[in-house]
Order: sequence, then structure tokens, then C-alpha cells
Amino acid sequence: MQSVVVVDYGFANLRSVLNALECFEISVSVAEAGSELKGADKIVLPGVGSFDAGIRELRRRGHEEALAETVLDKKTPYLGICVGMQFLYEGSEEGVEPGLGWIKGTVTKFPEGPGKPKVPHIGWNAVRKSKESRLFNDLAEESDFYFVHSYSAPVGGTDDSWVAGICDYGYPFAAAVEKDHISATQFHPEKSQLAGMKLIQNFLEI
Amino acid sequence: MTVATKHRLIATLLCYRGNVVQTRRFRPTNMVGNAFTAVDFFNSWAVDEICVLEISADDSYLDHFLEVVHGLSRRCFVPLSVGGKIRDLDKVREYTRAGADKVVLNTHAYQSDSLIEDVAGSFGKQCVVVSVDAAPNPDMPSGYEAVIARGREKTGEDVNTWVLRAAQRGAGEILLNNIEHDGDKRGYDLSLIKSVTAVSPIPVIAFGGVANWDHLVEGIEVGGADAVAAGNIFHYTEHSTKKAKEHMAAQGLWVRDSTFYKVDMPRRPTYQPY
Repeated sequence: MQSVVVVDYGFANLRSVLNALECFEISVSVAEAGSELKGADKIVLPGVGSFDAGIRELRRRGHEEALAETVLDKKTPYLGICVGMQFLYEGSEEGVEPGLGWIKGTVTKFPEGPGKPKVPHIGWNAVRKSKESRLFNDLAEESDFYFVHSYSAPVGGTDDSWVAGICDYGYPFAAAVEKDHISATQFHPEKSQLAGMKLIQNFLEI
Repeated sequence: MTVATKHRLIATLLCYRGNVVQTRRFRPTNMVGNAFTAVDFFNSWAVDEICVLEISADDSYLDHFLEVVHGLSRRCFVPLSVGGKIRDLDKVREYTRAGADKVVLNTHAYQSDSLIEDVAGSFGKQCVVVSVDAAPNPDMPSGYEAVIARGREKTGEDVNTWVLRAAQRGAGEILLNNIEHDGDKRGYDLSLIKSVTAVSPIPVIAFGGVANWDHLVEGIEVGGADAVAAGNIFHYTEHSTKKAKEHMAAQGLWVRDSTFYKVDMPRRPTYQPY
């Protein structure tokens, strides 16, 4: 039975992600410190909360080093969710701390103002596949997922070779990224019903 | 370019003394059964959100309710809103820890000067749904007065000014109900919904009185609601949420596509009849 480790950095409410993972025939555990990522077959990093506070706590708990060792060196499959996707970039307009920097580019805030979409972007929106990916395997060309966020990686503003799914909210942004064994979604698959559960199953099959 | 999100269909469960009930004019009428069966039922995979509210008169069933919320969150893979007896941040923490994505505030949001700000400050605006109950009152500019304590207490304030104040304090959404339409099968009070959606800077969820699928469509097309909620109608009808959703899509509403994907979830908890 494969072992899936969920990274805990103290801010995210892990309950929904654990609820979703626990539906599958896998062993699920929570890593409060980096040392507990060793031996994971898959790593999931859920996220809510602010960029700076989150990434500082990831560093303080030794998760950054452990992620480099497991995901970058040992090629352990990684799924980041929401802020867990934003951490992969070089930084975010939300804060001053550098991100993990695995993907080139900076996460930016949705502009606010008359005629602009409401911020935060909350609710169900369509995601269209922008390349072949394992994450969207067997999902329709366009499926609806649940979003809650104010920051995103705009298409064209970051390394587009990563982008696996695009959502439009005022402008197109990266709803999901994937390269080799590293993947992440801006939306919440654990709250996106069957399309989300299908995507989680796809990740577990990587 | 998209400037909004899709219209949502929300299934509402009312828990009274540990059971799911139907209500009419805010009074429980009959027991529908167990919350878990109801949610498994809603999970004909078409509903976009589930809202569960504890409506017992006193606090004696809150521990049981917390277990219900926890159980619901384990089998519900859409956003879950939870309300009932929220007076302070501790209750919000209990509900979110049990799996709530949003909390629904009502009477205490009105009575307290800081509850909405406190919850929004700690959990974010997206977590705060303010449930606003209205009763017709021709003396109010909008024709509706805000009422609290499940309709038993009048506030003397126009429903529109309460909605604006709640939004300013940090509410993320308004759940709007006319107490006289609750369980009355007349459809939503469209003039109330129109009046509130005209002034509200935040999304409004229409609730109360749905007896057929056209009522859901009217709530959005005529009332201007962002999302539509219903409770009673979903009980007893097989595949009810799926049919409701199909009807909304057929009427041209921009709703979530609920394509069925086969996902093998061997450990997903489901209701086991005894």
C-alpha cells in the first residue's frame, strides 16, 4: 500500500484533504516536520493562508530542505493545492519571502476595481486542459473545479511550459501545473466533487 | 472574459434535536431522518454546496451536532457551510475543525458588535455567511424588516441596511430568507431578493419556499441571486438535486457541469442502514 504524506505547516486546515485521501486504498499520514517526509511515496501540500507566513513556517519546520531532497532529488511525486501551488514559484505579490523557485515567475494579485471580477475568486469555474497531463487524464477538455483565492499565476507572466490547465477570471491564469512528477492545482480538488476526486485518483496513480 | 463564477445550487439541511427536519415558517414540521442518509442522497453528485444548520431551541444537542458535522464532512466533497448557535470564535473553531469550510451567522451577528469582524479577521471573508431573515413591513423603505431569533424578534431595521452593514463588517455572502415563505411552497420572495441583490456588494443566496425547479431558475433570473438554496424539496425525491441541476442548465443558466466520473473510492464512508 503506498504511503501518502500530507505536509502540515500549521496554517492549513488539513481535514478536507485528509477526508478526500482517506477514500482511497492508501496509507495517509501527516508530517509536522521535514524529517517525517522521508519514505513518502507521494507528497501532498495543501494550503490556505498567507504566502509569507506559510513559507516561513515551511522553512522553520525543515520542510523546504526535505521537499528538495524527496521531490527534487528522489523524484517523489508532489501535489500542491492552492497556496501549495503558489509556493512553487519564485515569489508572490502577497509577500516578500522568496518561494521555492521550482517554477519561474511571480504569483500576482487579481486587480480590483470597477468592471473587474470580484476578489477573492470564490466558487466554481471551468478549467480547460492546455496540454496532455497525467493530472487531467480521462477528464473532459473542460471541467469545473472549486476555487478560493486572491492571487494567481497569470498565463504569459510565468513559465507557461508548466501550465496543464487554464481558468479565465478577468484574464487566463494557471489553474494547474504539471512537469514530470511535480504537479499542483490552484483550485481545491478535495472540494470539487467527482472531477476533483478523479484528479486525486490520477495523482495517486502517477 | 469571465467576470463571475457559476451559479450554485445549495442543499440545506436543518437539524433539530439530532434529526433532519422539514420546516414551515421556521417551525419544524416533520422529521426526515438522518443527516448522513440525506447527504449521501444529495451526493447524486450534482449539488454544488451543502449547508447544515442546527435549529434546536437550546444547546443540548450541540455535541451531537458537532459529530454530525464531522461525519458529513467525511462524505461531502463540496464546500460545507455550518451554522447554529455561533456566539464566538470558539464555536467557529469547533465547526471548522469538524470540517466546515464556511460558517453561517445569524442572531449573534446582529446582536454582537464584533462577531462578523472577528470571524472574518481570523478565518477570512470567504468563511463568513450571514443569514438574514426578513419579514414584510410596509413601514420600512424596502418593505422588509430584518428579524432575528428565528423570526421571533424584530430588529426595527430595514433588511437592506442590515445587509449593507454586514457586508461592511466582513461578511462574504448573504443567505436570504423571508420567514413567511419558509416551507410555504410559494417559491422565493422575489421582490425581497430583487431588493437585496440591488444593493448588496456581496453574493446573495436565495432561500425559502422552493416547491419546483422553476422557482430555482426565478431566484437567479428574476431575483438576481448569485446562488439558490432549498431544503424541503430535496427530501423524498429520487435524484432530486440532479434533476434540479439539469433543469437549471436546460433553462440556460450558467451552472456547474456535473459530468459523472467513475472514481474508485473503496473507503468512502456511506450510510449503512441497520
